[in-house]
Amino acid sequence: MSEENPESLLKNDAGKNKDKVFCTFCPSKVLNQGSATFVNIQFSLPYMQRKGDGQADERESISDYWLVEDMYTFENIGVSNTVENVKYLACADCERGPIGWHDLKTKKSYIALSRVKHA
Amino acid sequence: MAKKTYDLLFKFLLIGDSGVGKTCILFRFSDHAFSTSFISTIGIDFKIKTVELRGKKIKLQIWDTAGQERFHTITTSYYRGAMGIMLVYDITNEKTFENIAKWLRNIDEHANEDVEKMILGNKCDMEENRVVSTERGESIAREHGIRFMETSAKANVNIDRAFGELAEAILEKTHGKELHDAPDRVTVDRRVERSSTRWC
Ligand SMILES: Nc1nc2c(ncn2[C@@H]2O[C@H](COP(=O)(O)OP(=O)(O)O)[C@@H](O)[C@H]2O)c(=O)[nH]1
Ligand SMILES: [Mg+2]
Ligand SMILES: [Zn+2]
Repeated sequence: MSEENPESLLKNDAGKNKDKVFCTFCPSKVLNQGSATFVNIQFSLPYMQRKGDGQADERESISDYWLVEDMYTFENIGVSNTVENVKYLACADCERGPIGWHDLKTKKSYIALSRVKHA
Repeated sequence: MAKKTYDLLFKFLLIGDSGVGKTCILFRFSDHAFSTSFISTIGIDFKIKTVELRGKKIKLQIWDTAGQERFHTITTSYYRGAMGIMLVYDITNEKTFENIAKWLRNIDEHANEDVEKMILGNKCDMEENRVVSTERGESIAREHGIRFMETSAKANVNIDRAFGELAEAILEKTHGKELHDAPDRVTVDRRVERSSTRWC
């Protein structure tokens, strides 16, 4: 997560992901190459780990996402229960997240570039 | 435009009494160190997993109940579209085993007729507290002509294998002909998968 990945290196000319996308904590593969499109959209994701008391509701504002049009495009993904029209996305194997979110109205999913590994 | 990236999509459900370990089977770390995380607080609704079986790329969509089993309100809408059902009991709890027969009737009543079932005797890591023998599990499964396996969500014994076998059974049923005609058919590895360090 601390890695600084300029998005220009991660997408191809068509704006698709050049590399496979993995969980940062375990070997679980989230997306195949070329299966998502880079988008700039503002959305605040809750932190992956609570840092301590009283910070339970803190969120991180993120704007670089991989857009996944069809949920079944994911190789492996965990989908949370619904909170205010949004489902949060987590690793399907170690359950760490949220690594992104799913919009129930548009049926589109978004994976934060900063919360996954590209390889 | 969006190209389909898989061959088949199978919907699986977890069914059984409250407390048998259904949520742990789906959400292996629910009371582990990450239990303070945001995701474990709101809970997992379903998972999508991709497996390769006999050269086919299969997406498994696995659903947990949202606790409706406690109120015996599992009805047709929950079963809709399900192709595979994992029917779970707890080997340390007699009542949950006795209720398997009830769940089978519920499935017959509400689920698709040709849904593929498998019985799981969960918590097999708790040998010292076992009250339901493996033989009784095997025998009820045989009686109903369905598959059986003992699992531990806590020690991660047979979980992936169980899902793999259920997927295999559905594949065989729906695409059997096609598979037997395929020349590159591979034999399935039947070894027991065991990795001991995962706790649910
Ligand atoms: N020892 C042991 N405990 C388990 C196992 N699976 C679940 N549990 C425990 O059983 C309890 C109920 O599990 P849960 O998944 O919530 O059951 P559900 O009501 O069927 O969803 C929890 O305290 C779990 O930690 C297992 O394989 N072994
Ligand atoms: Mg549960
Ligand atoms: Zn992971």
